[in-house]
Amino acid sequence: MLKTDVVIIGGGISGISTAFWLIKRGIKNVVVVEKAYIGSGSTFKCATGIRASFTSEEHVVLMRESINLWKALSQELGFSYMRGGYVWLLSNEDQLKAFRELSRIHNSFGVPTRIISVEDVEKLVSKIDTRSILCALYDPLAGKADPFEALYSMAGFLRSAGVRILQQVEATRILQNGPQVVGVETTKGIIQGPIVVVAAGYETRGLVKTVDVDLPLKNVPHHAVITEAYKRAFDPLLVDAASGSYLVQTFHGGFIMGTEIEEREEAQPTPRVDFLYKVASVWIKYLPWLRNVNFLRYWVGYYVMSPDNHPIIGPLPEIDGLYVAAGFSGHGFMMGPIVGKILAEWIIDGKPSIPQAARLSYKRIEEGKLIHEKAVIG
Amino acid sequence: MRKRANPIIVCRCEDVTLDEVEKILEKGYRDLESIKRLLRVGMGPCQGRTCIPLLIRLLARRLKKDPEELLIPPSRPPLTPIPIRLFVEDEKRAED
Repeated sequence: MLKTDVVIIGGGISGISTAFWLIKRGIKNVVVVEKAYIGSGSTFKCATGIRASFTSEEHVVLMRESINLWKALSQELGFSYMRGGYVWLLSNEDQLKAFRELSRIHNSFGVPTRIISVEDVEKLVSKIDTRSILCALYDPLAGKADPFEALYSMAGFLRSAGVRILQQVEATRILQNGPQVVGVETTKGIIQGPIVVVAAGYETRGLVKTVDVDLPLKNVPHHAVITEAYKRAFDPLLVDAASGSYLVQTFHGGFIMGTEIEEREEAQPTPRVDFLYKVASVWIKYLPWLRNVNFLRYWVGYYVMSPDNHPIIGPLPEIDGLYVAAGFSGHGFMMGPIVGKILAEWIIDGKPSIPQAARLSYKRIEEGKLIHEKAVIG
Repeated sequence: MRKRANPIIVCRCEDVTLDEVEKILEKGYRDLESIKRLLRVGMGPCQGRTCIPLLIRLLARRLKKDPEELLIPPSRPPLTPIPIRLFVEDEKRAED
């Protein structure tokens, strides 16, 4: 039987980042349990974008802090990260009015978004056809990171610090002794530990059900497609505000695209040709040269939705030593660095140093004090 | 680690050599899904038609594992690269 101080279930960005911050804070014995391979859930299926241009104070402030950590981490660990910005393309007066108001909120929390002209868009995005837009919201603090490099470099750091990352080992049950967590049952035996962190995407729900907590999470499929690699065309991630579509060029050179299509929760992640038609028509309008670019690979991931589109991060009441990070509603990768720091603070200090982070614990769900986020795209 | 004078190419699309694969194995990675993302094997235009079967054989023999334990990456559509213009209605009609 394995004994440790902290067991983390889930080898995605949230779990790996939590282990990273625990080590940085001096906790020595940490074990990460991953049912397949690290990154195999949402982390490696994400669209790579990182932004603070959200609609709630909690999201804007925490993403801003996460962006600071992204820069520091990329320098420390040497992975690809860039503040290439987000350009939200706006096509009518109503959108302009709404985004002007949003920009005011961003600015009040230190995120310097601003409305830019069509000419400014053309300077940022070479060869864009701007005939259908009025102007755009520019978020210069936003950017992108390579999820493979980011996670593998963090995992490499953890291994050299003595953290055991168990892959192809599935956690099946959380073990408690009265009100105290005592470990995790896995497919390869029991791991004992007084602190357990569950950061397992939608499967967080099933795992905490084994200690009678029902997290209100929903798994909703989202679609993405990448093209063959081309040399660098432009840096910002583009969002078409009207259709909720995005396009971003990865560091390797492929363009990742996504758009909103109607999906049922819990649906099987099935590729749909109507997705390709929709995403192609949106982006060819702006970037006519895409006509001759090839679609290379299409995948489906999940947004694990919470009732208010904000994650549930922190302790679960009534069970000492049990913490969760789940329900990121499509924003888990970008938030990863700050989530690990917040959880390490909950575990070591008893509360997070950022007040907005404390508001995202499970308590808000129990008390019905939901905080709504409207800017979910793709 | 020994380095071959004449590199053996495992993945032709992304120019990955056997030496590079062996270096990843030395780091402790034991599955194809991770090797794919660490080296980009199978992520180029052929989508792993050549390199993935090669690696399955190599790893199964070397690590004494069943192919399923190696976590074989799924085949993802469209299987072969397709021009985006074929997914725009009016352009598709024009080509037909």
